[in-house]
Amino acid sequence: MKLPIVLVLGALFLTTATALPFLWVKQAGTRMVQLSAAEAPPTAAVAEAANASYCTPELKAVLRRVLQSCGLLEAGGVRGCQPADARQVASLAGADFNALFLPMADRAGVIQFEQNEGVLDASDQALVDRIFADQRGASYFFVVARSSPEGSVRYNRELSETRANAVLAHLRANYQDPDLDREVGLLWLGEEFAQLDQQFCAWQRSGGESQCRTADLNRSAFIAWIDCQL
Amino acid sequence: MTRNLTLATIAFALFGVFFASYATLDFANHLDRQVHGIHCSFLPGVETASSESSGCQVTLMSRYSSVFRTKLWGGLPVSLPGMGLFAFLGFWGAFLVVTGRHTQRSAAFFTLGAWAVPLLTSCVMGYLALVELDAACKLCIGIYSSSTLGFAAAAALAWTAWKRPPAFGSGTQEDPGVRGLAFAPPLAAVFVALPIAAYVAAMPDYSAYEAGCGQLAHPDAPADLLVSLGGSAGGHPAIEVLDPLCPSCKGLESRLSASGLDEQLSRRALLFPLDDACNWMVTSSLHPGACAVSEAMLCEPDQARAILAWAFENQPAITSAERATEGAAARMVVEQFPDVRGCVGSARIGQRLNRGLRWAVSNQIPVLTPQLFVDGRKVCNEDTDLGLEYTLTRMLAAPAAAQGGAQ
Repeated sequence: MKLPIVLVLGALFLTTATALPFLWVKQAGTRMVQLSAAEAPPTAAVAEAANASYCTPELKAVLRRVLQSCGLLEAGGVRGCQPADARQVASLAGADFNALFLPMADRAGVIQFEQNEGVLDASDQALVDRIFADQRGASYFFVVARSSPEGSVRYNRELSETRANAVLAHLRANYQDPDLDREVGLLWLGEEFAQLDQQFCAWQRSGGESQCRTADLNRSAFIAWIDCQL
Repeated sequence: MTRNLTLATIAFALFGVFFASYATLDFANHLDRQVHGIHCSFLPGVETASSESSGCQVTLMSRYSSVFRTKLWGGLPVSLPGMGLFAFLGFWGAFLVVTGRHTQRSAAFFTLGAWAVPLLTSCVMGYLALVELDAACKLCIGIYSSSTLGFAAAAALAWTAWKRPPAFGSGTQEDPGVRGLAFAPPLAAVFVALPIAAYVAAMPDYSAYEAGCGQLAHPDAPADLLVSLGGSAGGHPAIEVLDPLCPSCKGLESRLSASGLDEQLSRRALLFPLDDACNWMVTSSLHPGACAVSEAMLCEPDQARAILAWAFENQPAITSAERATEGAAARMVVEQFPDVRGCVGSARIGQRLNRGLRWAVSNQIPVLTPQLFVDGRKVCNEDTDLGLEYTLTRMLAAPAAAQGGAQ
């Protein structure tokens, strides 16, 4: 009588210790198969560039035209846009062109040069550094250089080009960023197109309090990060 | 007296089975590669499983929770043979009571010897948990207690049987000696081996995940964006996407180091702080202060490992300080590593950190940490904890051409 009881007890203990792990592992395997067969559950967002709310389809269309013409979106393109190009590709009046940048006030700055100068001084460099380092998820860095109306149109056009290139040269010298050529777009507008008005006096500027006349504001390179995915 | 002591050993064996079963169940649940709550309680089954971080979680995810991790996904949980052994001890006690052999000295001493196995194992595992892991697991404590009390009952049984005078002609069985117990050790082995065999036989097929989960579109990151985490110079190139204040990253580092597989890798970190102070991809700061610590690592690449170790060690303190006072994390890291003074917070280093984030954009990797890429292939997120050794071993062994894997 004792032997059957012992055998039953042995079978009970052994079966329990064996069957339970087998069952649990099988259940885990079944869950794994079901999960892989089911539609993928929501996962973490994919890393992507910023796309701010001001990036309307209309703004993107203008940006795309400007960027393509300024050699950013196509490899081997011409770097920089001259006034005539800018006016043409933007297909906008000067005031409307400037209005594009208004939503970017906190990401932009006005680098103010001395009259007839195209060299960055210390305060100019500091502002360029501060704004450029605050890229975050932005994809494009615009440098829009201008000149005040003194002097000939041609001279001012060349002077604004010098100013735009001064900003780019500073970035090249100080930031080892292989994406620089794909990020930085240069436009030099001379005195011919989209002159800055007084409202830009309130923006971040490298000039002093007294340098807020229209002429002062336009001896400048306007710089801004643009948080738009194109 | 010996009968009652034997009944006590049965009771403690059943407790042992109970706790070891729940520990095995918690482990087996994770074989589906998902995150599960675990029974961190002295009353498993009464209290529901919890997903909160606990000593049980630390213990379960540690390298000490299982063996043969490179052979089986997750390895063989140490609680499984424990479950079989306790089942044997329960059966053995019942056998002695039913057959009346609990009075025999040889049976009592075998019982004592058998109970010494879980006791010694409990001592070793308890030491590892408290000293190495600095974690207390309630289920484990249940097993340790069952082992200790069972051993104490077995010792009392052996002592009583030893002191008991031979009972010739009193109706109790004559002690057959060691020969009469020859069947017991093989039987114990069967009790341990069969559950293991059943567990292994039931294991799911993980081959679909052995090649990883996708690959980097642009694996060649500029050198100045990554910081070295060590490993072997000629090892497989590995990139860890990590946040120095992310607890899971600390866990992955710990598991990778414990596995020894880090020595086969040439490890570099892409700093991906989940902190909106510098990372536009997160809407709130999951780990405040992570930007400052990440910048410090980029500032002094030679000290990056030391900074990371310090950050891992002080994660709660750094995040709490930054939550309380903006800039506190930067001050803490500068105080600890004076060489980064003047660099942390500078435009240049912020821009470099940002380029790292943009490298993540160019590779379209998920906004989460940690992530591990080996030879450009991503170790599936689900395989970075219990399945790390199993998966990584296979990824390292796979030919370079075997790219891709599960999506």
